[in-house]
Amino acid sequence: MKLLTRRALAILVLALAVICGILFFTVRYLGEASKWVQHAANQHLYKNGKLKASGTIYDRNGEILMETVDGIVRYHENPAVRAALMHAVGDADGHVVTGARVAWGKRLAGWNLLQGAYRFNRGLSHPGSDIKMTLDAELCAIAYNSLQGRKGAVGVYNYKTGEILCMVSTPTFDPQYPPDIDKDPERYEGVYINRFLSAAYTPGSVFKLVTAAAAIDNLENIDSTVFQCNSKTVIDGEYVTCPTAHGRVDFKEALAKSCNVAFAQIALAVGADTLQAYADKAGFNSSLEVNGIKTKAGQVNLKNAQRPDLAWAGIGQYTNTANPLNLMVFMGTIANDGVRVEPKLIKDSWLLRLLQTVVPRERVLSPETAIRLGSMMRNNVLSSYGEGNYRGLELCAKSGTAEVGGDRMPHAWFAGYMQREDCPLAFVVVVENGGGGSKVAGPIARKVLQAAVSRYAGE
Amino acid sequence: MNELLSNLKQLLEMTAAWWSNLSLLFNSPSTIGFDDIYTLLVRWVFPLLAVGILVRCIPPLLRNRGCERIWGYLEVPGSIKIPIRHWEVSLGRSKLSDIVINLPFISRNHAVLAYSRDSWTITDLGSKGGVSINGQNIEGKGEVHAGDTISLGGAEFRLLAVEEGNDDLDATRRRTWLSEWGEGIAPGKTFLLLLLFQVLGAFQLYFTMPEETKRTILLTVAVFIAAECFYYVIAFLCSRKHLELELLAFFLCGLNLFVVAADVPNQLLKQLIAIIIGMVVFCILQFILRDMERARKLKYILAAGALVLLAANLVFGEVRFGGRNWINLGFITFQPMEFVKVAFVLAGTATLDRMLTTRNITAFIAFAGTCIGALIIMRDLGTAVVFFGAFLVIAFMRSGDLRTIAYALAAAVLGALAAITFMPYVASRFEAWGNVWQYANTIGYQQTRTMIAAASGGLLGVGGGNGFLVNVPAADTDLVFGLLCEEWGLIVALTAVLTVVFMSLFAVFLVRGCNSAFYAIAASGTATIYLIQTALNVFGSVDLLPLTGITLPFVSNGGSSMIASWALLAFIKAADSRSRPDVNESGRLF
Repeated sequence: MKLLTRRALAILVLALAVICGILFFTVRYLGEASKWVQHAANQHLYKNGKLKASGTIYDRNGEILMETVDGIVRYHENPAVRAALMHAVGDADGHVVTGARVAWGKRLAGWNLLQGAYRFNRGLSHPGSDIKMTLDAELCAIAYNSLQGRKGAVGVYNYKTGEILCMVSTPTFDPQYPPDIDKDPERYEGVYINRFLSAAYTPGSVFKLVTAAAAIDNLENIDSTVFQCNSKTVIDGEYVTCPTAHGRVDFKEALAKSCNVAFAQIALAVGADTLQAYADKAGFNSSLEVNGIKTKAGQVNLKNAQRPDLAWAGIGQYTNTANPLNLMVFMGTIANDGVRVEPKLIKDSWLLRLLQTVVPRERVLSPETAIRLGSMMRNNVLSSYGEGNYRGLELCAKSGTAEVGGDRMPHAWFAGYMQREDCPLAFVVVVENGGGGSKVAGPIARKVLQAAVSRYAGE
Repeated sequence: MNELLSNLKQLLEMTAAWWSNLSLLFNSPSTIGFDDIYTLLVRWVFPLLAVGILVRCIPPLLRNRGCERIWGYLEVPGSIKIPIRHWEVSLGRSKLSDIVINLPFISRNHAVLAYSRDSWTITDLGSKGGVSINGQNIEGKGEVHAGDTISLGGAEFRLLAVEEGNDDLDATRRRTWLSEWGEGIAPGKTFLLLLLFQVLGAFQLYFTMPEETKRTILLTVAVFIAAECFYYVIAFLCSRKHLELELLAFFLCGLNLFVVAADVPNQLLKQLIAIIIGMVVFCILQFILRDMERARKLKYILAAGALVLLAANLVFGEVRFGGRNWINLGFITFQPMEFVKVAFVLAGTATLDRMLTTRNITAFIAFAGTCIGALIIMRDLGTAVVFFGAFLVIAFMRSGDLRTIAYALAAAVLGALAAITFMPYVASRFEAWGNVWQYANTIGYQQTRTMIAAASGGLLGVGGGNGFLVNVPAADTDLVFGLLCEEWGLIVALTAVLTVVFMSLFAVFLVRGCNSAFYAIAASGTATIYLIQTALNVFGSVDLLPLTGITLPFVSNGGSSMIASWALLAFIKAADSRSRPDVNESGRLF
């Protein structure tokens, strides 16, 4: 039988091919089943093309953000909350792809890999299909009202736990009564984009924090250096200017006064490679994933930068762009002594929280650098933005006024964190073409943070 | 990959949420019936049982490689005794001879020594040196008796009979790495797990199916279980062979009944009868195949019968589901090609002496050509592919000639291209292939529904009788994999498919220990048919291959297909010459 034993190997080849096919299918199934299941022909989940039932979305305090009753979708009762959370929850037609209704659609529909579309007791309850978000509905409404119809984004998150408490993007609308978007294209420009997650703006001076981090680590005599600002400096024939002449400033004062002349020189001293490395560390050029939702990556590309370009890049201009969420996470990283905490939008179950105590967190900056940056940001508030405006917040911040060219107003940025142990929140505010950073974006941050402190301090 | 990770993460999260929601069960008992709680709990049990059954059947079947009996000895005078471990052994200088005689005047394939009905024959394979018995040269074949001297080109051997009681089992048993693991696994316990699976499954369907079918389901499964128990007890007491192969077939037949019960409950009785006929045919074939002479006669009878069936099909065939492959006798309809499959495998086999003397397999090629030609006329191209695959493997086993196989394959590919070009019905299948989501409501309808249903089942399934795929045509046959995924979960469905694949691998594993090439080739042919059918059925339904309308052995609904699957299984069973370890030890039933 030796001869036939040898020849029977042909069948083994066939069997192997079948087994490979089964493996291939299984991998495909694990990856794509969540897409297959959302086809409108799925009679487990849909009836006449409409979801039979769906899980309820709650905010962190148990307020209902969206529920389906008898096949009809109902949002929060407060119109301001509805508009503020339109991007977080999602619209009826699924245009907001980062909204919960699209991003976690399979889960809301009552499907998961293990259980399939099985429903205990024929859909009277949907175990596991409800979602509790980390957002605070009222805080979001305050942020939305503070924006006063201007386009922009506001984000607040806990830099110890990663929970995002506030995520607002404007323009927006009331999803319960959607307006005719096409009638006013100016007002609703990019209304389906969640600017907090999916936009990237020129960062302007807030980027100086990245340059400063690189300087602290790489320039030995940075503390003893004194910069002379005569409102402009020439680099290879190109001007870098400041609004006013800051005179003699040291490193700390340069940041507090946001002196472009000083930071242009610091960027040149640091060099393109190092600055690029620190930008990458700070989260530029890579997108984050928040409970499966991918954010847009900010860009810093110094590969072909000439010396003037490098100087501009060091003060957040050139081709730099920043994503609001990513910048907020960088603020959180500074606040958390250099350790980055992954942001999230869904409240974790006890099981996941347990698992996460084991997962090591990524250290981005050395503790010394982070603390140093933090104290400089604190100094910004004390000496430039006015502690009186932010009383009780123990605020550390940096503003940005990002020139966008043409005759359009600059983007207004304000980003930072509170140094309070009992209220460890980092934040970012950006107002499109809003004007001066601390003047326009600062008050929005103040309102939201003061509300957050009154609601959560000491919790 | 990210999607996969987030799925796994979500899975953890959901499991936690799930168990916390179990409290619902105690808070609102008035709205929750016993059937709801039953499904909730047994869903977790089915995958465990299914995997357990398959895993428990594998090690006992693979624990040794056979050749445990010695049928005689070849003695080199004044020197060693070479044991003869098969009914047929080849002698020659070639490394692939069963008894290698490395002498320059011996041909590469010199002779075949065969044992049948207590007598020995030796066949000269056209050797240069010739063969002589007790000094007398033979032409072709010659009978040999114990004590005779055989001379191969001058090298002399003496054939010795085995003394009674000297065919020591354990001394010659070749053990594999699975041996020790397999020792502790009793078939009786596996059988009990199987029964538990089927009883729980029957009640699951009892709770979910409409009132008028509830009793039929329970009754059918009860009769089936009785038949299983009857077979198991009889086989345990009367047969010395391993029983795990039948247990696996029972497992698949049980799933078959579940599928039929959910989709077409009024066909349950027909399917039950088919299973029982299948089991009877399985037993009869085993009995016939035990004796080589009978087996050889059966081969010609079945081949003749197959030709009659083919002719009848071409003349009286009825068109159903696009292929003219049904015969209606008034009181019964059946698919003759399923039975031709059995004859086809048998027609291709041969004993080792015939295999090595007549290298010419023209008769088999003609037979295969007739079958495949007829299938193309009937527009049953899926089955044509199955026959062609079986033909390639059997022809290769017979001749070992790769070049001929390559020619045949090339011709087939050209033929297939022609079919795609000129037959619009085939072309549309190929057009849908790989793009079913684009044609989700036309030519990709069945495949997309299969995938949607499979995905809806998750790993545990929505519970037997709760699926929607049953509303799609052919859910119980061509799309049966999707139906299993949806109602019983991915784990059970994959276990069922892997069971068929394992049966095929087991056939390959058995070849080395076969007593006769006849069994080895038949088992290989069966393995090929099982594998190709599985591939076409499963991959066709989920768009990895074009959809062809082939049944999944044992699992798909269909009487002819069920009986043919059992008949083919007899060929694998016949190739297994080993005896159960417990035959010599304790004879406990469970």
